[in-house]
Formats: sequence, structure tokens, C-alpha cells
Amino acid sequence: MKTLSEESLLLPNPLREGLVEERIPEPAAMVIFGASGDLARRKLLPALYSLTRDRLLPARFAVLGFGRATLTDDAFREEMRRGCEEFARRRPVDPALWAAFARNVFYQQGAYDDPAAFLRLKVRLEEIEHTLGLPGNRVFYLSTPPSAFAPVIRSLGHANLAPKPAPGQPFSRVIIEKPFGIDLQTARALNTEVHDILAEQQIYRIDHYLGKETVQNLLVFRFANGIFEPLWNNHFVDHVQITGSETVGVEARGGYFEQAGSLRDMVQNHLLQVLSLAAMEPPVAFEADAVRDEKLKVLKALRFIPESDFEHQVVRAQYAAGSIGGQTVPGYRSEPDVSPRSTTETFVALKLFIDSWRWAGVPFYLRSGKRMPKRVTEIAIQFKEAPHLLFGKRGETIRPNVLSIRIQPDEGIALNFGSKLPGPAMEIAPVSMEFRYGSSFGVEPPEAYERLLLDCLLGDGTLFTRGDEVEASWSWVSRIHQRWAAEVAAGRTTLDSYPAGSWGPEAADRMLAADGRAWRLP
Amino acid sequence: MSRDAEREHANFERFARGETIPVEVGEIERELGALWKRASSAGDTHAGAAVSRAALWNLVIPTRGAGALAKTKALVDEIAQGVPVRAITLCLDDPGDVNAGALAGGGGLSATIESNVVSQPGGARVVYSEEITLRGPAGAETHFGALVRALQIPGVPTAALWMDAAMPVALLTRELLPVTDRLIVDTGSCVRPPHLYDLQRLAAQAHPLPVADLGWLRLGSLRLLFAGLFDPPVGGAPLRRATRLSVRHRPRGDLSALLLVSWLGQMLGWRPLRSVQTSDGGLRFDFTRDDGARGDAEPEVQAYLVPAEGACDASGVLAIELAVDGRDDYVVCRTAMDQASVQLPIAPAKAVKLDSYSDAELCVAALGPRGRDPLFAKCLAYAGGLWALEPQTTVSQR
Ligand SMILES: NC(=O)c1ccc[n+]([C@@H]2O[C@H](COP(=O)([O-])OP(=O)(O)OC[C@H]3O[C@@H](n4cnc5c(N)ncnc54)[C@H](OP(=O)(O)O)[C@@H]3O)[C@@H](O)[C@H]2O)c1
Repeated sequence: MKTLSEESLLLPNPLREGLVEERIPEPAAMVIFGASGDLARRKLLPALYSLTRDRLLPARFAVLGFGRATLTDDAFREEMRRGCEEFARRRPVDPALWAAFARNVFYQQGAYDDPAAFLRLKVRLEEIEHTLGLPGNRVFYLSTPPSAFAPVIRSLGHANLAPKPAPGQPFSRVIIEKPFGIDLQTARALNTEVHDILAEQQIYRIDHYLGKETVQNLLVFRFANGIFEPLWNNHFVDHVQITGSETVGVEARGGYFEQAGSLRDMVQNHLLQVLSLAAMEPPVAFEADAVRDEKLKVLKALRFIPESDFEHQVVRAQYAAGSIGGQTVPGYRSEPDVSPRSTTETFVALKLFIDSWRWAGVPFYLRSGKRMPKRVTEIAIQFKEAPHLLFGKRGETIRPNVLSIRIQPDEGIALNFGSKLPGPAMEIAPVSMEFRYGSSFGVEPPEAYERLLLDCLLGDGTLFTRGDEVEASWSWVSRIHQRWAAEVAAGRTTLDSYPAGSWGPEAADRMLAADGRAWRLP
Repeated sequence: MSRDAEREHANFERFARGETIPVEVGEIERELGALWKRASSAGDTHAGAAVSRAALWNLVIPTRGAGALAKTKALVDEIAQGVPVRAITLCLDDPGDVNAGALAGGGGLSATIESNVVSQPGGARVVYSEEITLRGPAGAETHFGALVRALQIPGVPTAALWMDAAMPVALLTRELLPVTDRLIVDTGSCVRPPHLYDLQRLAAQAHPLPVADLGWLRLGSLRLLFAGLFDPPVGGAPLRRATRLSVRHRPRGDLSALLLVSWLGQMLGWRPLRSVQTSDGGLRFDFTRDDGARGDAEPEVQAYLVPAEGACDASGVLAIELAVDGRDDYVVCRTAMDQASVQLPIAPAKAVKLDSYSDAELCVAALGPRGRDPLFAKCLAYAGGLWALEPQTTVSQR
């Protein structure tokens, strides 16, 4: 059998030209750490299976699960098959397709900080690559609790499993799950650890919100259409509301949530990412660093909330017992693994400003909570009223125009405007122009993880968070945490309460009412 | 219930079930409007979900004869599952066709409308799109252009699906192309390569519209697999040293095979020198890589089209084999309908899945970004150039 010459390694493949539209990655292996966990079974393997089903993965592709649990290849495959049957977008699972896919799924037992285990992992990986004719391209997915992130990366470094990129060499990339740190200090420390071993371009910090079709569409909507961008500034926008609400409580993750709270769990990553995309300047190109440079500028322009305004701009609360979907549900402090005296917030509402020319004076209101009436993530841009009210003279109010971008569920965009009611009188009623992904394109958008795994395999980091972005958002958020910690230490906690099934505490309504505004009912 | 109300009710029931409803030619838009209005108000009770009427394309499909019409309608039903379209089928009857839905209309034309429904896995209906069929006897095509212009949904692009060579081409070139944004053809339905010229002429007339070819898209999986052989660690170097290419194909797949040779020739900068008939009924093309070479130069690469038999998809191509430096073979060979074996000198042969797609799936792809592949036009022109080489009569042995 032939070996490869140095020369051939360096020459690009001309036959790939024109096939790029397919976005098929090069043959590769994906190693999943924490493969026995919930995320692998519910999201990762189902996403890889659906990608295979949609013919978006290369024909030569392998998955190697790694974890402390002792599992045979077959037991791991069986577990993952059950996950796909329950969670894959493409269901039911096609037995023939699964059989072909599962043949290249393997499992390797080992501890995350054991150098010998990583050497065994390396040998196994090389065996698999040799048998399947894989060129050595590798993606390592860190699907473990965050405490294992640094040990895994150190072990990868010791075993030389993720060498820095070099031209003509196969790639090694590392996907890191959230949360990336729990405050500015820990995020910085983790960045330092990671950068000891890996170049920034090898690191894919995942925020699955960015994989959602509407979040990406936000960029298309703003920058591919000529009519909206001219309005996207403080001359026309009155304010912006971003809502991320969930109906679920803490479920079985009370222990985790007690340490996290809504500000860490939802705002620092998802909502601030969405905010940065909604508020950023046009990037010079739709390329990873150009887009991330602009997002970073937004995060750096977030005005720190002054001490004097803290109580007017930050509201936090915990859900009390209430009712969701016709079921009585307990309050947060009665949930398993939650302290009866917990001060962790399950709801947070913020008023913030971006100190930039474009957004000067425009408040952004963010809220996120658990046990709310509906599961919704949306951005609503509320425009200023028409300058001269021709029609609202008799005291009736005309509703302002709102552009709402729904990220989940029912991804889509709606624009509300006033229209004349049919009839002889000049009566005005609000109407809505709606675009829904499901009904306009006749297909449901792919799962966020599908898109993100594919992007990583293709080496496209646009929808992943860069290290400096993570630090910038922690830098803003950590100040709020510090202030809360100081309150707790001083024995005076400003923690409100709201009944499960409501849209949050009254304090959140008062925050907007003080500005003459109100929360939308999304 | 009055008669009109009864008729309207019955029509609505048929519409909601996706059945065909005869309407007067001049009333198509009005009838559709009324049915949709009714469907949206009845949505909650009728279909279990609100009705969304959607169209991303106007899709115009000329066809001839009752048999072809039935096939076209089945194709439209399947396309509508992948992309919502307003399908406008234009059918000329063949003598002897029974035009059952005919109502007395202008020019002997008849029209039907129906809805196409996309359901979610649980059975809820999510999207409805619509299908309009216009039929008439030979000569009725003079009315088709104006009807299409009247029935195009404004603001939505229009594609013409031109697959039926029995239709008068002037309908396409004079009436449809001026109001079309994309032309879709199928080289796979061309019986012999001479039809290539017709297609080339059409593509030239359609310029600068994108022309998508189902035949080209059908070759996509094979091209992808073959291209994949030269990804790292192999890289593109062997392609520069290729000396012989063979494309084995079923007798009707010679056009697909020619397109594949053209693809490689185009991408690798091969300049055609001559073509030669081979003893097995196939063809050989000689190429040079030298831009300045004369017509009688020695070939540096030879490409064979080899007729053969075997299990195959509609492309008709069975295998691509590329020899490098006269010895190392890079091969993709179909072993069953959806299976292939790939071989390269650095690894043992391996069985892989080779996807094949239905015509409807290809049409959906042709309406997407893959329908704007500039490489197709280049390869089509290259293939035209190859075919124009008068094959030398000396029979060569392979
Ligand atoms: N689940 C989701 O829907 C979701 C959503 C967003 C983000 N995430 C993030 O994705 C990562 C994985 O989530 P997950 O829900 O799959 O986590 P998980 O089930 O708690 O843990 C995944 C696996 O990690 C291993 N592990 C390593 N150290 C551990 C430790 N100290 N305690 C417990 N298990 C440990 C375990 O496998 P072994 O015992 O075999 O080693 C476990 O099966 C987490 O960082 C999480 O924050 C998850």
C-alpha cells in the first residue's frame, strides 16, 4: 500500500470547487467526553443521526464516546439509539440507516484526569481512524459538568491529542459546553488553561441559542434587507425588550441551579448573545471574526449599572407555588436540592443601556424566568410613535409599531401596525404581518445542535462565542452578582417573589411603568 | 342551502381533501381566493390547525398528453412536500385524450385547481399550497403565456420545469422565459447526446437565468464521493498526474457519463484533442494539459465512455475510475442501487452508501441554492465541445 508524499499533503482538492454549497465536512472523528450523560443522549447523538439522515455528514465519520462509566460499544450504541428514537428531529429512526451509522459509533472507558486513560484513548482513536480510512481530523466535545473541562483539556494536551493547527495537517477542534466559568475570574482562569493547550481558533464555546435559525436570521433580516437597518437606531427605536421565559422549574437540577440562578444560566450567555446580535454594527464580512468583533463591541459598550440606579434597573425574584398548564406546582424553595432559605433568583429583569452612537438613550429591557406561563424567547423592537398624531385625537391610543422576532417556539418575525377598520368611521385597529418558518418554508428548521456540530466540523466559528466575548459579558454580569453578594452579606436581600404561572414579580412591571412603558405579552 | 351554497360547500370539502376541482378558466384566482378564505375561517374545526397558505415559487410545468400529465401531477404533489409552490401545469392534449374536466372555455381550455397539504408527524396540517392545471387541445398553447402571466403570484420567483420534449419549444422561449427566474431541465431524459445541442441552445437563450439540470444534480452524490477521494490526506496531487479516466455507464446514461468527463476535464484543465469510437461501442476522448498544444499532439489523458450493464440509479452511471501515472486507480463503483465501493491506493476498498434521489427531491434541490450552480453551465458547454469533435472512424481497442 502506498504512503503519502509530502507534496500531496499540501495540494488542495480542485474537485471540491462548486461542491461547497453542500457544506459537507471533511471525514473526521468526534470524541464525546461525558458520553453517558443526558446531553449526549438527548441532543448530540440525535443531532448527528439527523445530519446523517439529511446526508450532511461525510460518508467517513466516527463517534467515540468517552466516560468513567463502564459500557461496551454495543451498550453505548443501544443507549444512543434510544435517545435518537425519543429525541431526533428525523423520526422514526430508519433501521438500515441506524445500522450503518452505529457501526462507526464506539465507546472507551476512562477517567478525565488519568494520563494513561488518554493514551489508551489515543491508541483507540488511531485504530478507528486507520480502519475507517479517516485522515485524523478530530473534534473533541466536552459534554461533562464544567468541573471536568480543565482536566480534560490538560489531558488532551499531555497526550498530544489536540495539536495546534498547522497547514496541511488534519484539524483538532474542541467544543466546550456551557457554562464557561461562573464569574469573570473563573472564566478568565478557564480561558488561560484552555489557551495553554489550544489556539483560540481550535476552541468552539457553544451557546446553543446561536444555532437557532431565527437568531441567524436576525443577521439576514438586518443586513440583507434594505428597509430595516435605517430604522435600527435611536432615532426610530423607542426601546427593545428581550424575553427568555421557561415554563419548567428546576426539575432535577436544583443543586446546579442553586449555584447558578437565572442571571448566570440564561442572561450572561443566551440573552446577552442575542442582544449583541440585535444591537451590533454591520460586520465587514459574514465571517467568524468579523461578526464576533462587532458583537464584542456591543458587550464592551454595556453601561455598568450605577449603584444609585441599581434598584431601578435590576429586579430579581423567586417563584412561589402556583399553577402551570392546569397543574399545581411547588415554589422554588420547596424543590428538591434547594435550600428553604435560598436567595437564588429564578427570575431576573434588567434595564440596560449600550453606550454607542446608535443606541444612545434607548433602553434595552431583558427578562428571564422559570415557571412563567409560556416558553418563549423573543426580541421585540418597539418603534417610536408617529411624530404627529393625525388620528389619535379623540383620546384613543394608537399602539406603537412593534417588530417581534420569535426565537422559540414557532420561529418567525411579526410586524404590528395600525390599520383602518373597514367602515365609514376613521377607526384604527392593530394588525400583524407575520412570517413563520414552519408555514413559509414548509419545513421545520433544523435543531440548533445540528447546525453547530456541522459548523464546527466545517471550521466555521461564527456561531460560537470567542474567549474575549465571554469575558466581556462576565465582566458586566459579575458586577451584579457582586452587588447581590454584598446585599446578602449585609443581611438585606432584595429578592421578590412571583407565583408560578405569572409573568414575574410586580417590581418588574414597576420598572417599566416608571418609564411609561409596559412588558409585552409575548 | 341554496344551490350555489351547496356547490361551494362541496367544493370546499374537496379542496380541503386535496381533490381536483374544475373551475372556469377566467375564474381561477377568484375561486382559489374564496376557497382559501373559507379554509382559513374553518381552519380550527376542519383541519385541526390554522391554515397557512404558502408559496416560495411559481412553478410552471408544460407537458403533453394524459399520461405525462398524470406523472407531472404526482411529481407536483411530491415537490409540494419539500417546498411550497404554486404549481401551474400546462397540458396539451394528445389526440384521443379524454379531457374529463373540460368546461366550455376560451380556446377549448379547461382548468382545475387543488390544494397540496403538508402534514406534521402528528397528522396536523401545517402548510397548504396550490396547484392549477390548464388543459387544451393542440394550438391551445397560444393562450398559455398570457394565462401564466395572469396567474403568477407577484413578488414570488417563477421557475419553468422543462422536461417534456414533446412540447413546442416556442412556448418556453417566447412566452415563459421572459417571465421566468430559473429554468429547470433534465439531461437525464435526453435520449441521445445530440439533444445536448438543444439544451445548450436553450441554456444560451435562457442566459443570464440560472439553468438547473436534474441530470446534473443526480450526479451530485457520485461527484461528491469521487471528489472526497482527493481530500486530505490524499490531496489534489494525483489529479494532476491522471492519465486515464473511464466512466462506465448504462447505454442510456451516455449523456451523464459525458457530463462527468466534462466535469473532470473542466476542473483539471484538460484540453480536448479528438474523439475516437471504441470497439465496444463506446467513445474515447484524448486530452492534453498543454494550452499551446496542436490538434495532432500526443494525448496526456484519455477518457473512455464505456457502455456496460449493472444496477444503477436514473443517472445511468456505474463507475468512475481514474488511473494516475498509468497505475494507481481511484475508483468509485456502484455495487447496488444505493451502494458503492470506493478504492484508493492508500486504503483498502470500502463499501459506502451512495444516495439516490427521487425526481421530486431533485426538483426541490433545483429550486434551492443548488439550482444556481454555475459549474453546470460550464460543464454543459464543455460537453457540447466534446460532442462536436467528429469521432474518428478508426476503431481503437481499449
Ligand atoms: N443536558 C442538557 O440539555 C444541557 C443543555 C445545555 C448545556 N448542557 C451542558 O452540557 C454539559 C453536559 O450536560 P449533561 O446534562 O449531559 O451532564 P450530566 O449528565 O450531568 O454529565 C455528563 C457526564 O459527565 C460525566 N461526569 C464527569 N464529571 C462528572 C461529575 N463531577 N459529576 C457527574 N458527572 C460527571 C458523567 O459521565 P461518567 O460518569 O461516565 O464520566 C456524566 O454522564 C454540561 O456542562 C451542561 O451544563 C447540558
